[in-house]
Amino acid sequence: MSSSFGARGAGVPWRTTPSLRPPPVTRWCAPGRKRRRGPAGSGNKMAAPGRRLCLVAALLLLLVGAQALAPSHHLTARDLARLRAALERPFTDLQAAYYSIVGLHSLGLRVADEKAACNFVKSHVDSSSVDSLFYAAQSIRVLSGCEVTISNETRELLLAAVSEDSSITQIFHAVGALSSFGLPLASQEALSALTARLSKEENVLATIQALETASYLSQQADLSGIVEEIEDLVARLDDLGGVYLQFEEGIETTALFAAAAYKLSDHVGTEPAMKEEQIIQLMNAIFSKKNFETLSEAFSVACAAGSLSHNRYHLPVVIVPDGPAAVSHHQPVLRLQVTNVMSKPLTQASVKLDYAKSASTKATVLQQTAFTLSGEVFELNFMNVKPASGYYDFSISVDGDNRFIANRVELKVKVSTEVGITNVDLSTVDKDQSIAPKTTRVAYPAKAKGSFTADSHQNFALSFQLIDVNSGADLIPHQTFVRLHNQKTGQEVVFVAEPDSKNVYKFELDTSERKTEFDSASGTYTLYLIIGDATLENPILWNVADVVIKFPEEDVPSTVQSKNLFVPKPEIKHLFREPEKRPPTVVSNTFTALILSPLLLLLILWIKIGANISNFSFAPSTIVFHMGHAAMLGLMYVYWTQLNMFQTLKYLAILGGVTFLAGNRMLAQKAVKR
Amino acid sequence: AAGSVGSVVRRFLAEYGSGTSSRLKVLDAYLLYVMLTGALQFGYCLGVGTFPFNSFLSGFISAVGSFILGVCLRIQINPQNKGEFQGISPERAFADFLFANTILHL
Repeated sequence: MSSSFGARGAGVPWRTTPSLRPPPVTRWCAPGRKRRRGPAGSGNKMAAPGRRLCLVAALLLLLVGAQALAPSHHLTARDLARLRAALERPFTDLQAAYYSIVGLHSLGLRVADEKAACNFVKSHVDSSSVDSLFYAAQSIRVLSGCEVTISNETRELLLAAVSEDSSITQIFHAVGALSSFGLPLASQEALSALTARLSKEENVLATIQALETASYLSQQADLSGIVEEIEDLVARLDDLGGVYLQFEEGIETTALFAAAAYKLSDHVGTEPAMKEEQIIQLMNAIFSKKNFETLSEAFSVACAAGSLSHNRYHLPVVIVPDGPAAVSHHQPVLRLQVTNVMSKPLTQASVKLDYAKSASTKATVLQQTAFTLSGEVFELNFMNVKPASGYYDFSISVDGDNRFIANRVELKVKVSTEVGITNVDLSTVDKDQSIAPKTTRVAYPAKAKGSFTADSHQNFALSFQLIDVNSGADLIPHQTFVRLHNQKTGQEVVFVAEPDSKNVYKFELDTSERKTEFDSASGTYTLYLIIGDATLENPILWNVADVVIKFPEEDVPSTVQSKNLFVPKPEIKHLFREPEKRPPTVVSNTFTALILSPLLLLLILWIKIGANISNFSFAPSTIVFHMGHAAMLGLMYVYWTQLNMFQTLKYLAILGGVTFLAGNRMLAQKAVKR
Repeated sequence: AAGSVGSVVRRFLAEYGSGTSSRLKVLDAYLLYVMLTGALQFGYCLGVGTFPFNSFLSGFISAVGSFILGVCLRIQINPQNKGEFQGISPERAFADFLFANTILHL
């Protein structure tokens, strides 16, 4: 269950507590501390066998590999402001007023104008509706200086609503109203009505309302049956990726559940049967919603926030670095904000660094140091131990209250420093090694005077050392590049300088080896040294010297072409489909004439046989028929040249109809004549 | 054998000339014309190539279709076949012929 929940400030990822780090057994199994893995629901002191059981449980925890979760969402100051704005809308009706007033109260805030709110509530209450009375009662209880008298009928109405025939919502509202108005209430009857209804209404919201109702009943009644519902509801939560725990009905229901569970647990005096991990997952889910669509949603989140900040059993702690989690010589203090879910600083807590280990060497640099409280922020001057630059894993724990949960976190802290370049030597080394190398020393940030030559006889060499300016130790940064830039053509080639065993960086330029990188382009190159790293505060780009590089003549290309990728490519000519071979026109024309010859033959034959039109009667139908037929043939021609089939069909239908009728008549007459 | 073929043919032609009504002869002439047209088209295609194929297809099929419809008409008109076509008068057959031809050439 690795997690990196979005950057906080400087992109430093969170890490979960690794499973194989042994939990301090003393902490778990010390008597008097809250046991978290013992049998659920009991918070009694331990006997010796109990302690043994606890050790076994700790071992089991190691084996199971359960990883504690760090909270990913809480109400930051901005979220709180947004929630407050959502609740502070002007009241539209009594229910809205209830949500606003009671919601703000859960957050520890007060309504702007209490008198006006009180008047609004009193004027909008409907004495015949149990729901309305509930909203009014709760609002009045929260507002200071708001009093109302209850008539006997109202009281009777409320008492009558507490029965097996009303829905759980009705019972909840009636009991809540009676309790908030300060009227006497028969807890045992209410409890039996509630239990009876619970067996009929099994949905989540009804069960949550039952929990709330039970928190109004007297402690003499046996509320354990209702308390067990908390466990059942926890089992119905959906686990989303191991990070969120919420009901499928949504965030609102989940938040209401959290508020109701803690309210009832505080009332009854029993720790709610929820594991630490589940509480954190609930917290992540509830506070993941930052924009509230409805007032009831805002109200539910406010209630959850209030109950998770003030209850007798579990207080989730949120530990956030103030700004980026990075220290350096300029900023040696690591600042942490330690707050509850509503971003209220827990100034009473004691924050301790359990250990700080280097991420690369895993050596412990500091342990068991306390943070000091400065204003509302906890501080630790980490540079006092003079750590080397790099990343460190911090394990921080917050104590001071048994109720704290999620109070151990791992934090990755960056220690930055400044780099200095020393012992920079530029030299030309003869390949035959017959002449001693000429070395020039340069100091940063000056540039070497004169230029150096590298050609077929001699190589160019560069060596330097990198040290931490503050501590004097050798540094190996991530980026140590040597960049050669051709002044004429704009070419640049970048090489990596590598350190040897004594952490001295060396770079050598051999013209015969490096021909291809340079495209054999001779000329004057400017040499730059580039040093960079995440933990360096002063990355370096230094123009060290000019180097004249001469490549052997035969490899000089005709033109030094800059490899420009963005010129138009050669045009592709489209090849049209070759037209098919046709016979010569003569042949086609001959054939056409040939085809018409049978027609001639036909006419001759017809004349010979004696076909004639002597029987042609000039009856109207006959004429119409022949005209229609001729028209149809004409239509065929037009179809061939101009029309499409649908148009032709249209005309054909008309013509055809006419011709058909006429033809019918004509042929009938013919038949009669015959 | 050649003589018998020749004599058969001559005999056939003589019978044909006398035995068939002129109406049928007119129709037969038409059928001959259509057949010749179709055959010529086919021969051209064999000789010169199938370009343009569409034209060849349409011409040839038109010829074949017309021939078939003409044959149908001839069968239906022939008085010797009257027994088999009770309900269809020659006029009706002719009307059918015209209709079918229209549809074919559509």
